[in-house]
Amino acid sequence: MRTRKIGRRTLLATGTAGMLAAPWVAGAQAKTLRIGMQSILSGPIALLGTSSRNALQMEAERINAAGGFLGRPIEFVYRDSKGQPQEAARVARELVNSTGCELLIDAEASSGSFAVQEVVRDLGVACIHTNSETSSLTADPKIRVPTAFRVARQGVHDAIAGSTYLAKFATDKKISKWATCSPDYAYGRDTTAQYLEFFKRAKPDIEVVTQAWPKLGQADLTEVITKLIQAKPQALFTLLYAGDLSAFVNQGNVYALFSQMTVASPNFDYPVLTAIKNLPTGIQSATRYLETFPDNPGNKAWGEAYRKKFNEYPTNWSWQNTVAMQFYEAAVKKANSLDGKALAAALTGMKINTPFGVDGTITMRDDHTTINYAIGWGQTVPKPPYITDVKPADWGRIVELETEWKKEQHYI
Amino acid sequence: MRRHPALRDALIAAIALVVLLLIPAFHRSPAFEDYVIRVSAMALFATSLNLLVGGAGMVSFGHGMFYGLGAYAFALLMQMTDLSLPVAALAAIAITAVGALLVGAVCIRLGTIYFAFVTLAMQMLFFSIIISWQSLTGGDQGLRGGIPRRELFGFELGSQLHLYQFCAVVMVLGLLAMRHIAASPFGATLRMIRDNETRAGFLGVVLWRARLTAFVLAGAFAGLGGVLAALFVSGAYPELADWPNSGQAIFAVMLGGIDTFLGPLVGTMILLALNDIVTRVTEYHGLVLGLVILAFALGLRRGLLDFLRLRRKGAKA
Repeated sequence: MRTRKIGRRTLLATGTAGMLAAPWVAGAQAKTLRIGMQSILSGPIALLGTSSRNALQMEAERINAAGGFLGRPIEFVYRDSKGQPQEAARVARELVNSTGCELLIDAEASSGSFAVQEVVRDLGVACIHTNSETSSLTADPKIRVPTAFRVARQGVHDAIAGSTYLAKFATDKKISKWATCSPDYAYGRDTTAQYLEFFKRAKPDIEVVTQAWPKLGQADLTEVITKLIQAKPQALFTLLYAGDLSAFVNQGNVYALFSQMTVASPNFDYPVLTAIKNLPTGIQSATRYLETFPDNPGNKAWGEAYRKKFNEYPTNWSWQNTVAMQFYEAAVKKANSLDGKALAAALTGMKINTPFGVDGTITMRDDHTTINYAIGWGQTVPKPPYITDVKPADWGRIVELETEWKKEQHYI
Repeated sequence: MRRHPALRDALIAAIALVVLLLIPAFHRSPAFEDYVIRVSAMALFATSLNLLVGGAGMVSFGHGMFYGLGAYAFALLMQMTDLSLPVAALAAIAITAVGALLVGAVCIRLGTIYFAFVTLAMQMLFFSIIISWQSLTGGDQGLRGGIPRRELFGFELGSQLHLYQFCAVVMVLGLLAMRHIAASPFGATLRMIRDNETRAGFLGVVLWRARLTAFVLAGAFAGLGGVLAALFVSGAYPELADWPNSGQAIFAVMLGGIDTFLGPLVGTMILLALNDIVTRVTEYHGLVLGLVILAFALGLRRGLLDFLRLRRKGAKA
């Protein structure tokens, strides 16, 4: 009986203490600033989401150690959209309306980011797209949204930088006969056409001798490889990526494809480079992310810290998410607010110092997309750093040709 | 009551609608409102599928094609013309009905398994058309740029509350209409065909005509669901017309119950609630969902409402 009485009292006391403490606990919770992050975190392209999330985790630690945003510690709420646009729209609304997120990081791929864009248009919250490379998301004024921004590479920038580099390379090496091999859907066909268009503008005498369109995720590429070899091109341009690209190189090695033509692709990044068994020397490749380019201590230290923490190489998506948080950090400080409109005003035209910029800075242009990020082309070597002799792209030229392209699309 | 089943249905529908419309007056919950909006699209879709599966014994694996067609037709009409919202919605449903007529004309004479596979093949064909006809549909990026949500009798469908009210009304009316179809002599004819098509044929029923009518009606209601889905995402995306979406509707029907009219609605509610809760907690949502479906299939051996109804019957007997 005695013990029971004490038990009740203890309960009463704890309960009262709890009730008294409750407002404090609740207060502490409300002080934390929640940032919603959505991406594809399951299925075959989960690396998109997980390598984005890793980078954001590192950023949260860094920012919280420095006092958070407006004196409030930040906390990410991660959600998986499974890559379905209707789910992406739902998740974005849930993050803001029910979970209480005050800022959004949209790390979705293409169609998901367009669905999120429309939600942001309705809600008026600040949002940074970190993984969608489709140019129209920000370039088309009909699709652009006042409070949504993109911190990521953009298709048209890569196409201009790549074709300019390859035109010079082809002139130097006297290569005129080209073949292409890209995935058979909108990205592959559109972007190949875009590269070829800029390529022909820079070097009108090139000739495309054959074009191959393997299906996405096609396991056996024999037919494609033999078709390419039989056409006897001097060089091959490919937009295959991720697992398809490493499969292509591994199977191409069997047919000695790489000794019969020069291969060029913008899509060799760490996950691909490390998945290839015998990486041939001399593939012309862009750097989506490389620890050694831009060659500065900040970039190197970040890449090493990431590898140490997660035991894998960072991806292109990792640096993009990192820079997005650097932009948020600077904008929140400048606007002294989390309001969508105030942040949009602060972000527009903002220039920040970051090791991922080609000259140590990246600018958020008036059309809500970033410029001056690192784009370089070099050639592969079988061992780390995997891509050497990297030549940075000329951003003046990129912006000039991009403006022409925008006029042709009637965006401006 | 027995003598006026239509009246009883209308009464239940009216009560459900009033309750749904009153909830935001007492408590505004954006998550709940989004949930109801999504349930309305999916419930119309799943119930229309059950008109075929439960009502006529025609198991279609390609029903998502009409959901997608409704969404694309509506979104394109809103983007490319100045039609008012209800006119565009009705036109989208009409387009879906024509689509269903064409597909149905090819499929409905086939036996169960072949019917299932040919409908699936048709859906894949439709999906490929969406992906390849980029100039119209935007290809795999989807139809971007948002749907202009023109005002409708003072309703601004960009506002969540108004979209919620609109979807609640459309869902209740749509379900009521399908209930009438299922309870009509035509519905009875379909069930007769399902149970014994030879006998139905001998009684003078033109089998293909009844089946085709059912197929077109089901397609049209799926298209209506697609219109609501397009309004929710403010666009149309190929995933809406892809086969996993047909699978979702089949899951909803299985979870809720095939032989009870409201089964697919209940199944949809379970499916979406599960999705919302489980994705918040884990990335292994597919695993959890699979286990739940297994539990239903092996444990209850039927959908929830069918199970409850049979138990009640068993208790009475």
